[in-house]
Amino acid sequence: MAEAIVSTVASRGRLSSDRARSRRALDRFMTGVLWTAASSIVLLLLVFIGYEFVQGWSEISWHFLTGYPSASDAGGGIGPEIFNSFYILFLTLIFTVPISIGAGVYLQEYAGSGRFRDLVQFSAESLATVPSIVMGLFGLLIFVQTFHWHFTAIGGALTLTLLNLPALMRVTQEALGSVSDTFREASMGLGATKWQTVVKVILPSAIGPLTTGIVLVSGRIFGETAALVFTAGASVSYGKSAYDFNPFHTAETLAVHLWSTHREALVPDADQIANGSALVLLVMVLIFNIVARVVGRQLTIRLTGKS
Amino acid sequence: MSILESQSAASSLTEKMNVENMDVFYGSFRAIKSANLKIPDRRVMALIGPSGCGKSTFLRALNRMHDLTAGARVTGTVTLDGTDIYGADVDPVTVRHRIGMVFQRPNPFPKSIYENVVYGPRIHGENNRATLDEICERSLKQAALWDEVKDRLQRSALDLSGGQQQRLCIARVLAVNPEVILMDEPASALDPIATSKIEDLIGELKKDYTVVIVTHSMQQAARISDFTTFFLLGDLVEVGTTSDIFTRPKDKRTEDYITGRYG
Amino acid sequence: MVGARAGKAHRDERVALFFLVLCSGIFVVAITLILLYLAWSGTKLFFVDHYSLFTFLFSPDWDALGGKFGAAPFIAGSLVATAFAIVVGGPLGVAVGVFFSELAPRRVAGAMKPAIEVLVGIPSVVYGWLGLTLLVPLIAKVFKVEGDGLLAAGVVLSIMILPTVISLSEDALRVVPNALREGSAALGATRWETISRVLVPAASSGLAVAIILGIARAIGETLAVQLVLGNANVLPSSLLRPASALTSEIILDMGDAPEGSGLQHALFAMAFLLLLISMGLITLIHYALRKRA
Repeated sequence: MAEAIVSTVASRGRLSSDRARSRRALDRFMTGVLWTAASSIVLLLLVFIGYEFVQGWSEISWHFLTGYPSASDAGGGIGPEIFNSFYILFLTLIFTVPISIGAGVYLQEYAGSGRFRDLVQFSAESLATVPSIVMGLFGLLIFVQTFHWHFTAIGGALTLTLLNLPALMRVTQEALGSVSDTFREASMGLGATKWQTVVKVILPSAIGPLTTGIVLVSGRIFGETAALVFTAGASVSYGKSAYDFNPFHTAETLAVHLWSTHREALVPDADQIANGSALVLLVMVLIFNIVARVVGRQLTIRLTGKS
Repeated sequence: MSILESQSAASSLTEKMNVENMDVFYGSFRAIKSANLKIPDRRVMALIGPSGCGKSTFLRALNRMHDLTAGARVTGTVTLDGTDIYGADVDPVTVRHRIGMVFQRPNPFPKSIYENVVYGPRIHGENNRATLDEICERSLKQAALWDEVKDRLQRSALDLSGGQQQRLCIARVLAVNPEVILMDEPASALDPIATSKIEDLIGELKKDYTVVIVTHSMQQAARISDFTTFFLLGDLVEVGTTSDIFTRPKDKRTEDYITGRYG
Repeated sequence: MVGARAGKAHRDERVALFFLVLCSGIFVVAITLILLYLAWSGTKLFFVDHYSLFTFLFSPDWDALGGKFGAAPFIAGSLVATAFAIVVGGPLGVAVGVFFSELAPRRVAGAMKPAIEVLVGIPSVVYGWLGLTLLVPLIAKVFKVEGDGLLAAGVVLSIMILPTVISLSEDALRVVPNALREGSAALGATRWETISRVLVPAASSGLAVAIILGIARAIGETLAVQLVLGNANVLPSSLLRPASALTSEIILDMGDAPEGSGLQHALFAMAFLLLLISMGLITLIHYALRKRA
């Protein structure tokens, strides 16, 4: 049957059945190639997580997660570092969230197509490509040297703010863009000002994607290293309480600790500590991801009644 | 449907495609119900009916375009020169080589005019530059576009006007040398002058190709087609010569549509 | 009554607008300050220490104690690692982007995409650690070398840029109108032919942006490459020998560099170079996009 169709075409146009077969074969081959590529990436992720679990699981204990790092003996913990990671995350968000939402709202809801808008957009894109180590050096120049703060949590947080402003602004813009225009029209039509519309209608409607974005960016802040090494430092204040709320003290985070432990290699169990730290970091990333999706979806359902 | 039998023995009508018992499902929705139609060779068959009656759905089943839509299912047989195009061994890609389609909105590729026209032959293995040039000129002449573009074949197809783009799309289809050309409201997005050029073109094309055209304009069907089929809500209601359908419709539903009762 | 409330609303509006413009302005001020500060400290090596720019860029002699600051080993290392990442990760990322846009059924995509998102979130220090503990020993066993070097860095970077390239490629392909897919199918093309001959060319500017952003990500990566490169301050002679990169060198030596020393100035010069490269890539993207429009 198929031959009949194909051979008739050969008499009418220029098509050989060999050519049709090889084209079909190529199509099937390339489809297979693409499936393999995608699957192998998923596989890679599973390998990473699995390997790190195997390597680091033995290190995890209550003492490890809450105890102090040791300067030269085995058995050090990562308690202060975990605290610092969350503390710096918290400080960073305090600055980043209002500023980037403000800029996002401005660009999305207010700005016309003027020079200022292009300038802000271009600045955000440029800011986004500044490598984290370069941003860290900028933080070093301003906070550590010019302000004479030396290594501080707040210095690290401000540096991370600069690093993440563009990402959160983009999150805001997308979240606002997902809100249907009919809401804006309805609100303005009832005599509300633009700001009232934004605060009472648009932002609440966008809360789902906005929260998801903020939690995902938080995950990246939690794991940042290069920008913190020279701003928040690579040590913790020994002897004092593990939970140091003074923003003007040195604050080594978990991610930085992984690196500095390996680099200094002063303690005999440096590798195990590093493995344990890596595992904790991976687990935190997974938790951030899951929370981002779940919370985002819940908020959207709660607000709009559908998913 | 006995159009073929109704013709006298002296006529040159042969059957090119035969649709038997065709259903088209979108999920569980039955868009075309048990359609039967014989499509004569080298004539223009118009498919008319009110919006949503299924004429485009029917047309797309004739070159297996529904294969590309998730959830769409076609049952029944559609034969081309006696062979069922939905048969188990049949390659849909080859089917679309012999049965081409022109869409409602012109959709040229963002390439040059030349590259658009020779896209089909290239895929099918033709690499000889001289042959491709010749195919390009022949197709553009057949589509009545050659004179307007012969000096700018390397320019982007997107620079052409809407009517020119549509004729380019027709040339593109002609370049693969099909036997049947399916047209889904080809002039509905065009102005009246461009429309009449397309209609003249169809009149020329039917000398070499079988044309099946969906149109929402009864006047257009009356102007250009030899046979007309009327669809309503997924049913193929009536088929006949165009003059019969428009002057002596057999079915009351056809008559109501023709006289403007609905649609 | 209404007048008073309306007045307050309008006043709020003005205050709000001020706040919003201020927030937007912070972006502009920030990038300007960064450029100025980095330019100022990054050029001290040339204007204050009077070191030759040519020597800095092209000399392979790096000896901090001896006053030699030829940064060519680091520049070359960064370029090679980035090139490897783009050559491997670029096509792979585009391929998976094509997969998600054209091939994957919705359920499969829904299962796979979270995996990509997790890959984005993994900190670079963890990538580096995984590279050090998983990949370097593997390379050592297969090639009978120490294991660290540009091959390890290149592989790690390839994986790290994948999520960026994948999602941008997918976006670029989704934007291509469906009418083109139909038109190609109706001419008798197979799906692969439609993808390779129509869709990818039509999406080329978006795909170029995906690749360029992948390059930007790779060249600015610090921790992951530092942990697996081996940090030898020599010109890269092979993919399997220890090498160095701009980012890894900065993070390793900046901590010990004395204030005002030639070493510190040289490191800042490298940072400024990185900043210029990143800004250059952004400008390239704008140019590429404007050309297509």
